[in-house]
Amino acid sequence: MKLKDFQAQFQRAILEGNDAVLEHLTDGACETKSNLLNVYRDAYTLRLIDVVGNDHEQLRRYLGMDDFRALAAGYIAAHPSHHPNARWFARGLPDYLKSAEAFADRPELAELAALERALNDAFDAEDACVLRMADLAALPPAEWAGVAFVRHPSATCLKPYTNAATLWKALKAGDDPPAAARLPEPARIVVWRNETIAMFREFPPDEAMMWELIGEGATFGRVCEMMAVFGGADGAAMRAAGILKTWLDVGLLSRALPPAD
Amino acid sequence: MSKRAKSQPSTSAKAGDPAHSLITAKPPYLGFGLGLRSQHYTDILEGNPHVDWFEVISENFMVPGGKPLAILDRIAARYPVVMHGVSMSIASTAPFDEDYLDALVKLAERVEPKWISDHLCWTGVHGVNLHDLLPIPYTREALDHVVARVHHVQERLGRALCLENVSTYVQFNRSEMPEWEFISELSKRTGCWLLFDVNNVYVSAFNHGYDPFAFLGGIPADRVIQFHLAGHSDMVNYVIDTHDAPVRAEVWDLYEAALRRFGPVSTMIERDDHIPPLAELLPELEHARGVADAVLGKGGKRKTAAA
Repeated sequence: MKLKDFQAQFQRAILEGNDAVLEHLTDGACETKSNLLNVYRDAYTLRLIDVVGNDHEQLRRYLGMDDFRALAAGYIAAHPSHHPNARWFARGLPDYLKSAEAFADRPELAELAALERALNDAFDAEDACVLRMADLAALPPAEWAGVAFVRHPSATCLKPYTNAATLWKALKAGDDPPAAARLPEPARIVVWRNETIAMFREFPPDEAMMWELIGEGATFGRVCEMMAVFGGADGAAMRAAGILKTWLDVGLLSRALPPAD
Repeated sequence: MSKRAKSQPSTSAKAGDPAHSLITAKPPYLGFGLGLRSQHYTDILEGNPHVDWFEVISENFMVPGGKPLAILDRIAARYPVVMHGVSMSIASTAPFDEDYLDALVKLAERVEPKWISDHLCWTGVHGVNLHDLLPIPYTREALDHVVARVHHVQERLGRALCLENVSTYVQFNRSEMPEWEFISELSKRTGCWLLFDVNNVYVSAFNHGYDPFAFLGGIPADRVIQFHLAGHSDMVNYVIDTHDAPVRAEVWDLYEAALRRFGPVSTMIERDDHIPPLAELLPELEHARGVADAVLGKGGKRKTAAA
């Protein structure tokens, strides 16, 4: 048997429980080859359950260890790893939970997993410059209306239909989570990295609108116009400026784009 | 498959060939180190622990950015660092993941490690990664295959690779030579360095019923540049390389014998699970220093370091 055939057979033994490879193995000093092969089989699942659990600590806490192990084992069986780095192994978990029939009546699981995935992704996302208030100090007042902004590349916006973010916060704090619930409207949860800390915040509707506009390349003047449409002309620019200051304080923006000539 | 892999290094890796530019000088002796673990970041950066160097798991830092790389930059500025990978799959018959090697090269450019190691094993075929260090039959076919792959990696890295013996739980009736002979031949034919994992030798020897000192005696003394020390779990009829407990007495005994055979070799304690506070690991590292001093004398380390 060639090495490549042997490796294919050994892999089948681990992934599918196929015993054909046993004929090529010898018994150990004090243990049968069958039991020794099982060391590899057990280690495969246990190791990957750990990987999934380390990436989804709050989901694990929410479900309890036994249910979490069963959920993770189902994912592992359905999604063998295709990446050399285990860092990316659990990234498919939210989609798996969303589509798996067994979890169809528990949409908060997929959304909790999606929130944790977004936090993990923000944690080691590409480094980028961070725009601070001081960087805008030299901007002449007349130019403010024409300036646009680039969002920090670690930032992403989730739109959960459940109270997954509330569940996450309670679990993280070590509290008993409230009952899972469906929201009347999807929330807007922005996840990003500030310095080295991955974090998230729920945006109220006006802030969420402003976030989307900035992402589309809208100028600050355009943002103020839309704030006026959304919440009334009175103080629209002040509301937009207040939100902008908050974003600058927490590192949500990367760059300012000067007004086009 | 092996024919394809064998063809990979055929255009170079020969002395005199312009493409032959591997750094082959023996890496320096570093003293006594630890595996870098995130639980210890603060204690390392805010304290001044008596640790001579750190080994980092390459894959943990093969990420786009953020805290892991920021911390690694700070560690690498203060300590010698060695990169230790778990996913090279050097013995796999699957085509190399060139993206993985690109990322490894990129990380090495950033970290400037004293050496780069991985394991003599395979981790999957057919596009699947089992994230385990899987055993190979010690056949001439496998040896030719791994030799070709090591040449390829060494060309990509521009330096000699360092390979570690893994713990194994099964053996193959087709093996044509003992593991130590396979490793010895591999090193001879490729110029790769060896990471002698003392615990892994103990684990494999126990499971397969051979003498760990025979393994030790079969490894070329001048190729070993690093020792791993770790704890294992006793399952009565076999032992598992769990890396989750202190080093056991029988492994310390083998370490002593390894020091006698190999002389001063950069030594580190590798804890991967149930990771205790740094303050609990440091006495174990001090114990390793004490064992080395007792075997080699205190001057042995300095003499080699200056060589």
